[in-house]
Amino acid sequence: MTNAAYRRSQLETLVEAQGGCRATPPLLLAAAPYFDLAGEEFGRRLLLTTDALGNEYCLRPDFTLPIAEDYIAEGTREPAAFSYLGPIFRQRENGPAEFDQAGIELLAQPDGDIALDQVLTFARAVLSLYGVTPNVRLGGVGLFEALLQQADMPDAWRSRIRHRFGHTAAMDRLLTRLEKSPEQPRSEQPSRDELIEDVTARMVSAGLSLSEGRTPAEIADRYLEQQALDAAHIPPATLKLLRDYLAIKGDALSALRQIEELGEKHKLFLGAPIRTIRRHLDGLGEARVSFDASFSPRLDYYTGIVFEMRGQGDTVLASGGQYDRLLERLGAKAPIAASGCALWVDRLEAEWPK
Amino acid sequence: MTSITLAVPSKGRLEEMTRDWFAQRGLTITRPGGSRSYLGAIDGVPDVTVRFYPASEIARELMRGNIDLGVTGRDLIHETSESGPAAVDFAHDLGFGHADVVVAVPEAWIDVTHMHDLADVASDFRSRHGRWMRIATKYITITRQHFARAGIAEYRIVESLGATEAAPASGVADIVVDITSTGSTLAANGLRVLDDGVMLKSEANLIVSKVADWSQERRATLDALLARLGNRAWS
Repeated sequence: MTNAAYRRSQLETLVEAQGGCRATPPLLLAAAPYFDLAGEEFGRRLLLTTDALGNEYCLRPDFTLPIAEDYIAEGTREPAAFSYLGPIFRQRENGPAEFDQAGIELLAQPDGDIALDQVLTFARAVLSLYGVTPNVRLGGVGLFEALLQQADMPDAWRSRIRHRFGHTAAMDRLLTRLEKSPEQPRSEQPSRDELIEDVTARMVSAGLSLSEGRTPAEIADRYLEQQALDAAHIPPATLKLLRDYLAIKGDALSALRQIEELGEKHKLFLGAPIRTIRRHLDGLGEARVSFDASFSPRLDYYTGIVFEMRGQGDTVLASGGQYDRLLERLGAKAPIAASGCALWVDRLEAEWPK
Repeated sequence: MTSITLAVPSKGRLEEMTRDWFAQRGLTITRPGGSRSYLGAIDGVPDVTVRFYPASEIARELMRGNIDLGVTGRDLIHETSESGPAAVDFAHDLGFGHADVVVAVPEAWIDVTHMHDLADVASDFRSRHGRWMRIATKYITITRQHFARAGIAEYRIVESLGATEAAPASGVADIVVDITSTGSTLAANGLRVLDDGVMLKSEANLIVSKVADWSQERRATLDALLARLGNRAWS
């Protein structure tokens, strides 16, 4: 028996067997938390509806957010594991907007490495139900953050560069701008007080609130910082390091070796995050594993290691990783470790050899 | 069936200029029922039916293939759906209705001159102010696309249905994405367009739906019409 219904019931069993709680969040969810967490970029994928008072709701677009919100509302800090299987809804260009998704969420686990292994094992198990030996693509958010922290540059540039990690075009534009960055003769700067006075006058005359949004002091400070940044160049060697690093991709072992060499050349301590990635390679067995230094989801709550698994058709079948900053973003009072993955059931079924 | 449908903006300057444009090319659009009627014709061209629609509806109906060709702003094609431009052919710039969709910030934001400044401001806006940077606009699709390309994700759109330029002063939003032909309304409201803040240059356009049902006969009717419009000497 190898029909779709059989595979589906095997999948059910696997999801149930995750030793945690089977999560069944409602189909209709408040839309605001999704906009707050992921912004307009994700917001345009939502299927929205409005109640009589104009409050916006969406059809469940993923399981992670309602699971994490429920966990925070419970108020426990205990380790918890959730698994799920059911429909989600996303706008797309053509065709139906309903998809089945399966996945797990591991929250507040004492050891993030073990949790990630569990996630990878689960994803592999689901893929093998569908006869898929995946191409795994790993990304190192923690690795990049470690490199950025140690690279030689004025501090204010670090967050600006971090912010563009995962958006190849925006990162490229920033690096290109920094590489060109002409030696501007520094003109005499007005003092901070003068700037604040000037900005305040402009805001008052335009009828802007001085406290509701950006304040005159904030604008003046960033203006001065910007002037200082234009003068404070990132050393060309550092820009070259970033370019070289972000270009590394390919077979995981050789990619990691290249990164080690790059780290040695620039006297960076990258041993710990590289070792962590290596450990997970062992658990991935016969899957073809590549490492892509520039790969990261665009959401800044990802940490540590992220991954994607693809099948024959090169479509993403599973994606996930570690996102230790997610629960804080959603209102948790202290950091709570989190990792998990989501699998696209319809795409998996399409992988089954016909 | 060989007749095709041409949609013309149903009111105001856009209707007037469109009818003038056709008239200059020897085609007189009539509206027998007056301004309350939605049906019209072109004198001497019986196989083209004219319908009068609001400009935004023309964009949507072209994408759905419910009308075959129509006159509307390029901005509305881009705004109605991300896939809009792929569903149509822009046959003629009509030379009127010029306007740019632009990103404008309060003039007082002296530190923000480019999109990359905005990316920096947006990225830590929430940690400073406890909320996302807000953008007032009626161009939601265009804004999302353009900001995604600029690598800016940390913002919220406040949909604005009129007087977008007043949103920063009224506290509804921090910045705006608005349409402007001279920039004077923005400037009068203390707003400044970013140096790289032009997202779309728009003008009125004669647009052909790619997804309409183009049988050979209907294609021939279209080609005949376009040939007459393309040839200014024709009369």
